[in-house]
Amino acid sequence: MNWSNVLLIFRREGMDQLRDRRTLFMVVVFPILLYPIIGAGVLQFAAALQEKPRVVVVVGADRLPEAPALLAADGSTFNPKLFDSPAEAARLTVETRPDAGEWAAPERREQAVRDGEASAVMIVPADLPEQFAAKGDVAIPIHYKSVDETSQVTYLRLREVLDRWKSGIVEQRRKEDKLPEGYARPIEVRGLDAATSQEIGGSVWGRIFPFLLVIMSLTGAFYPAVDMCAGEKERGTMETLLISPAGRAEIVVGKFLAVLAASVTTAVLNLVSMGVTGLQLARRAAFVGGGDPTSQAAAALAPPTLQSALWMIVLLVPLAAFFSAICLAVAAMARSMKEGQYYMTPLYLICLPLIFMTMAPGIELNAFYSLVPVTGVALLLRALIVGDYHTAFRFFVPVLLPTVVYAWLALRWAVEQFNDERVLFRESERFSLVPWLRRVARERGSRPSSPQAVLCFALIITASWLFAQVLLTTGLGGLGVVVAGQGIILLVPLAMAFLLTTDPMGTLRLRRAAGRYLAIGAAAAVAVKPLSAEFERLVQWAFPLSDATKSVFESLLQGETPWPLAIVVFALVPAICEEAAFRGFVLSGLQAGRRTRSAIVLSALLFGLLHVFLSLFQQFFNAAILGVFIGLLAVRSRSLWPGVVFHAVNNGLAVSTEALIELSRRAGVVGWVYRDAERGLYHVPWIVAAAVVAGALVLRLWKFDRGAGRAGA
Amino acid sequence: MILVEHLRKSFHDARRGWVEAVRDVSFECRPGEIFGLLGPNGAGKTTTLRTLSTVLKPTSGRAMVAGRDVVLEPEEVRRRIGFMSAGTGVYDRMTAWELVEYFGRLHGMPRDVLRARMETVFDWLRMDDFRDVLGSKMSTGMKQKVSIARTVVHDPPVLIFDEPTSGLDVLVQRSVLDKILELRDMGKTIVFSTHSMSEVERLCARVAIIYRGELQAQGPIPELLAAHDQPNVEELFFALVEKADAECQSAEAAP
Repeated sequence: MNWSNVLLIFRREGMDQLRDRRTLFMVVVFPILLYPIIGAGVLQFAAALQEKPRVVVVVGADRLPEAPALLAADGSTFNPKLFDSPAEAARLTVETRPDAGEWAAPERREQAVRDGEASAVMIVPADLPEQFAAKGDVAIPIHYKSVDETSQVTYLRLREVLDRWKSGIVEQRRKEDKLPEGYARPIEVRGLDAATSQEIGGSVWGRIFPFLLVIMSLTGAFYPAVDMCAGEKERGTMETLLISPAGRAEIVVGKFLAVLAASVTTAVLNLVSMGVTGLQLARRAAFVGGGDPTSQAAAALAPPTLQSALWMIVLLVPLAAFFSAICLAVAAMARSMKEGQYYMTPLYLICLPLIFMTMAPGIELNAFYSLVPVTGVALLLRALIVGDYHTAFRFFVPVLLPTVVYAWLALRWAVEQFNDERVLFRESERFSLVPWLRRVARERGSRPSSPQAVLCFALIITASWLFAQVLLTTGLGGLGVVVAGQGIILLVPLAMAFLLTTDPMGTLRLRRAAGRYLAIGAAAAVAVKPLSAEFERLVQWAFPLSDATKSVFESLLQGETPWPLAIVVFALVPAICEEAAFRGFVLSGLQAGRRTRSAIVLSALLFGLLHVFLSLFQQFFNAAILGVFIGLLAVRSRSLWPGVVFHAVNNGLAVSTEALIELSRRAGVVGWVYRDAERGLYHVPWIVAAAVVAGALVLRLWKFDRGAGRAGA
Repeated sequence: MILVEHLRKSFHDARRGWVEAVRDVSFECRPGEIFGLLGPNGAGKTTTLRTLSTVLKPTSGRAMVAGRDVVLEPEEVRRRIGFMSAGTGVYDRMTAWELVEYFGRLHGMPRDVLRARMETVFDWLRMDDFRDVLGSKMSTGMKQKVSIARTVVHDPPVLIFDEPTSGLDVLVQRSVLDKILELRDMGKTIVFSTHSMSEVERLCARVAIIYRGELQAQGPIPELLAAHDQPNVEELFFALVEKADAECQSAEAAP
């Protein structure tokens, strides 16, 4: 990588964007204008809300007692003493009507509410003075309309007012009867809010802000990326750059840095504009004072603190890098700006649910969410804004690290796109289904293509997911469901290998393997056992299983399953089915036009994802790591069987963990083997020995045993 | 300086499947010589030249440019060529001077050397009056001059021009052809593709006629005319095209 070329390209692309009015508007002008407008809007909405008075018709107001007074002296409002502030009292307007003539009829009263003439109609019954004098009780009917929000709110306010009035009446009676002060009020609730004012303000920002910030950094990356890829193709300057001595990686990194700069600038300008608007609102709230809703709304919009803001910027860079690389890779496919815009919708549709998590109540940052792209960052942003520094610092690295890894992977993808002449020189072509299918059938190769491999994975996931719902209702029982589920995992690659390739046996690697590979497979599985026990403990510590999940899995896995049956269902069947899919079809497809190393890692990641989708996300790590080893074994031996042996022995040992412990206990060597027999943890020397053996086997496969692989190439 | 041997290039098309755009093309071009690639649109000229510029990888066969293999050392090849085609446009939001400077820098030229070289090139192409004009404001002729300046700024030994005159008016056409002749006199190796017979007659010492992705004939123009018994390049061209069409039809009818 020639960094002076990268810098040159970055500077040129950056300058190009600065000279483009559209980009400048989206990146700079839009965020600066947006928040003051939102701020003003919030104030105006709050003001508009305040100005609308609600009419309460009181029928038979003349029957109300003098003291305690329900209505104000002039009868146009309720008694202001029954409210927290006079301003609140003014928002309920009273119109008094005699309980005679048309207002005597219940239909007329209801009609008034229905037509919106009044928000509520309250009737003072004829026997009220009588009951009042006799210290009896009386019902006060109120007409309102629950589906009309104004009417509903008025009704609730009215009940509050009447409650306070009632308390006044009770207090008066208490005094008359000379009862102790606590007689009618045995308890009094005093809520003490532990939230700081930053947290109260933050919770409003905390919901909206991560959402806006993430969307803005995506938007800030998308437009420049489309301009730099599709736009260049459209303006006919892409080839000019491609024929310069700059390498593809240099071009991509240069463009990527320019997109990243635009994305971060957009997000930071948003941050600043939002902060200034918030500050303005808070100042205004302090100036107005009091408890009226305008100032409450404004106080809730107090800006994030400077400390939060700085951390947010640190966090934004890797997120923006992730978006920039993704956008660049996606935009490279587009032939024109117009086509580039089409790709925006799916990108947003994928991102939105990931960000909406922050708006949902009850979702807190945890180890799992910290690994999910976008969501982790959005939740961490929320924690920072709300001022929940405890959570924020605990998860800062766990969120930052995966995001950096995702960004790096996305950048690799973008470089791959730019190295693919089919992507760069794509011509517009007409697509028609039948000739296309005919051609796919006619021109099958001996191995599947990478897209077919990914399609195979996607089909396995969707088919398994759909059938899982059906299978659970068939009454097959736990074991039956597991076997049927594995059947789907086998069926998809099998069908695809026979339909899409001319050499299905070769694709699925259904060849005889040299004996030494089978031995390596078995030996490695045994050697890995003490290591995976430690690893499992580590994963359980980092991502604890919920008790509910644990009990579901225990009932499925343990139960009263006889040992030989458990071996068949949980070791042999998955070994064959999953290997055929992942080391057979998927790995063969991914090997097309890719370095073997990358193909093995990608297939292992997909294998890990299978476990995330179909069982527990905790299994991802173990599956992905073992997937790399089995992939290597499959490539070197050119056969599926050593992998099947490894997989079967590995799963078999896992199923028999308790039986093995019991066995060693009976043989009297349990203390010699396990340091913690309850949890199946081995003594350190065993672990070291296992690591040495496993390492030696990997090294042997990777470095020294390339014979079979080369013979096949 | 340019050596092409049995070059093949296939593309994948959603409707037609694999299409061979270039079939078994071989030719050679030496310093101080303009080699003409004559053919109609879609004959495979651009694909052949894009392979030489390393942006497309050949399906099979070999191409050497300035002693480097286009597949094995693409970056070294790009360092030694100047390439200009309909697909290599001019940046809208950059001035003439900035653009040429940018590509000179990408070729790793030191600032002072680049500056002196640019003064020479701008003077040679008479571009001084629109140095600071943005690409979006340039006329077609100006853009073509900027492209030529971009192509020669690093003084490459090999120049490839893919239909450099298409879409230009006669005045600009003439000046572009004059500049290419001047470059030949400087001892450059030049490949020049066109669908214009007169340009070939005027510029090229040797010519190859390409049609349906295959070279139908190649050699010095007088020799070709004599061998096929044709009075001029135009007649020669149509004779070869008719022959290729007839062969193609009989090949399709045969199986």
